[in-house]
Amino acid sequence: MKVNPELIDEIKKYGAFDISACFNCGNCTAVCPLSKEDASFPRKLIRAGHVGMEEKITSAIEPWHCYYCGECSSTCPREAQPGEYMMALRRYLIAKYDITGLSRIFYKNGWLQTWLALGLLAGFYLLYSSYTGDFGALAGKIELAFPVYVTIALGGYIINMYRYAIVKPLGGIKASLKPAHIYETFVHGFTQKNFNGCEETDWTRWIAHLLVMSGYVLTLLISNLHLLSPLDKQYSAFSPVSLLVWYAGLAILIGGGVMSLRRVFKSAESSKFSHPSDWLFVATMFLIGASLLFTHYLNVAYGPQDPLLAKVYRLNIAIETVWILLIVPFTKWIHIFFRPLAVYFQHVKREAAAGTAFGFNLSR
Amino acid sequence: MRELEKIEVDTLVVGSGIAGLQAALDLADQGYSVAIVEKAPSIGGKMISLSKVFPTLDCASCITTPRMASVSHHPRIKTLTYSTVDAIKREGKTFTASVTRKPRYIDEKECISCKRCEEVCPVYLPDEYEQGLGAKKTISIPFTNAIPQLPVMHPEHCIRCGACARACPKDCIEFLQEPAPVEIKAKAVILATGYETTPMTAKKQYGLGKLPNVISPMAAERLLAPHGPYGRVLRPSDGMVPGSIAYVQCAGSRDKSIGVPYCSRVCCMYAIKQAILLSGSLPIADITIYYMDIRAFGKGYEQFYNNARAMGINFVKAKVARITEDEKHNPILRIERQEGDSAPAEVKHELVVLSQGLLPGCDVSKFNLGAGLNDFGFVQLSDETVSSAVTAGAGVFAAGVVKGPRDIPDSVVDAGSAAMEAASYIRKL
Repeated sequence: MKVNPELIDEIKKYGAFDISACFNCGNCTAVCPLSKEDASFPRKLIRAGHVGMEEKITSAIEPWHCYYCGECSSTCPREAQPGEYMMALRRYLIAKYDITGLSRIFYKNGWLQTWLALGLLAGFYLLYSSYTGDFGALAGKIELAFPVYVTIALGGYIINMYRYAIVKPLGGIKASLKPAHIYETFVHGFTQKNFNGCEETDWTRWIAHLLVMSGYVLTLLISNLHLLSPLDKQYSAFSPVSLLVWYAGLAILIGGGVMSLRRVFKSAESSKFSHPSDWLFVATMFLIGASLLFTHYLNVAYGPQDPLLAKVYRLNIAIETVWILLIVPFTKWIHIFFRPLAVYFQHVKREAAAGTAFGFNLSR
Repeated sequence: MRELEKIEVDTLVVGSGIAGLQAALDLADQGYSVAIVEKAPSIGGKMISLSKVFPTLDCASCITTPRMASVSHHPRIKTLTYSTVDAIKREGKTFTASVTRKPRYIDEKECISCKRCEEVCPVYLPDEYEQGLGAKKTISIPFTNAIPQLPVMHPEHCIRCGACARACPKDCIEFLQEPAPVEIKAKAVILATGYETTPMTAKKQYGLGKLPNVISPMAAERLLAPHGPYGRVLRPSDGMVPGSIAYVQCAGSRDKSIGVPYCSRVCCMYAIKQAILLSGSLPIADITIYYMDIRAFGKGYEQFYNNARAMGINFVKAKVARITEDEKHNPILRIERQEGDSAPAEVKHELVVLSQGLLPGCDVSKFNLGAGLNDFGFVQLSDETVSSAVTAGAGVFAAGVVKGPRDIPDSVVDAGSAAMEAASYIRKL
């Protein structure tokens, strides 16, 4: 196996500044309620990082099983922050799976992505404001382009994750076709039920997370299916679409607000360390919720011809554009796909070990 | 308050564990007068309650009791037990210590140690000398080989029945006894205040002392001692003979999450020693030691460790992360098995000993003697490479664990060194 002596320094650039203090006692793995017989972490991955076993790290799916309860960090005898190391590994893996290499640059350069986001936001807002034609129609086209872009970006990630996690270590294309495994993958994707696998369930965190996620998925549906045309139609406050918007906006504001407060006050082990990209993520999410709510409120209250609505709607679309272009593909946003996929890949690995996986070997 | 008693000596020794006893004897044998102050009712410190010592498996009492007897009979040593040092003042070249003799509620001069009071007393208490595993009477001599052989009464538990007073042939029960002040003037002070083990409550994940079959190493010493509470090894919850015993190493040391980042130096060896003794008293029991790494650094220690391995004691490299129990109070340890593919695992045992670390027994900075403390509350030596006893305070010397965790041989050696340093200091005055 090839050894990369610079590996641990490389990982440290994604967070996990204290990990060299680790003396490999295994307390973290033992205390972790999510660590399993065939997916044992964090100690094994820390060790692999220390000794430079790059392939072990790049093929690891364990980082996606970690929900950062923080028990490992709070009980670590060396205060080496193993939980933060797992977080750093997730960033490292995102950068690894990303074919464009942009994630790597953003993660390593602190606030660069934030400045770029601000610049793009201003740029798109000016661009949309200077558009003299029918902005409602343009917005429809922009919103319909979002899913195409996201699918391409996501497709690249998923193929790469599959390549690193399954094809390379197992030496072939493997899959599991058992309905139970596929069903479980979806259940994890929608409920993130492993949150409750932590020793003491952090209900606030889980509920905040679920609110943000459900609100966000709804927003995504509303915009990607172009359910709203606020400049053309007047909506009543209690129409089905309005109810969706109220829920989505409020869920994001409340959930996102709780999450930001926890980061500000560092109230839990998982919110002690914040990477600039975490702030960007939370802040933009918050803006999306706020601008969506405000746009819809203006439409419901003052009708589609309201002059302020025209401005706020352009801002709303500008924020969404930046979000889709810059944040969706290059931050931890994509973990919502990686986590359930990791559950699935774990089954594939298990079946491959048992020889029941579907697939064929690639000759090297 | 009783009348002030005044004592003038060359050296004041605070603490009468093995280090304090050795320092006092070494000074007194050179012709210096010594006063030794002990807060417990008997001299002997922690060592007198141990079963055997590593790596020779000598009987701990057999080493301690001769020194205790020598100290208590020495013409130049004045022993004050059940007494606390409240303050030490430095006046020029002398130290004046204010000491309080706590009331035993008996006339110490008249008592003939006949134990009649103890026999008739109707009230039983958990015996702290037996780490709560046995019981003692409300008025009782602290333990069999205690020196002095004087009973202590605990008025908070006494029911004032008067049985002891009626039984006492010398009429020396004094229910109204008060604390007595003592003033000790000395030219030098030797601090030998020793240690306390990290408490059972130090780590939340280890059950906070609420799991009955998770015991302290001091309790295990008592179970193994020939004159221990049960006379054999039984587990506390139901008196069963344990068939599987585990040691959790570093349960109170090398753990920043409990604020004790240092190694306590003795835990590996006492765990190995207890494991060897246990396999003697329970030949068919499985004994496992969960360790991070075994630190067998002294003379003969590695051999001792290898012997334990050869005897069939299991050594498992794992840090125990959590202890829970099943419905029968069998402790369950959660560890990561690191051999092979490595995976988290839960292992059930019938008795678990937490290898607790050593914390400073007393905050000696309250005496303001000029001796500095390190980050962990142990006395800082002025220059460790030059002397193992000299502190930054002139005339103030340190012996034993007060300077940091160390084992019995090391404590005895540097008690001698403290005595030598104190003697040469007094000579030069």
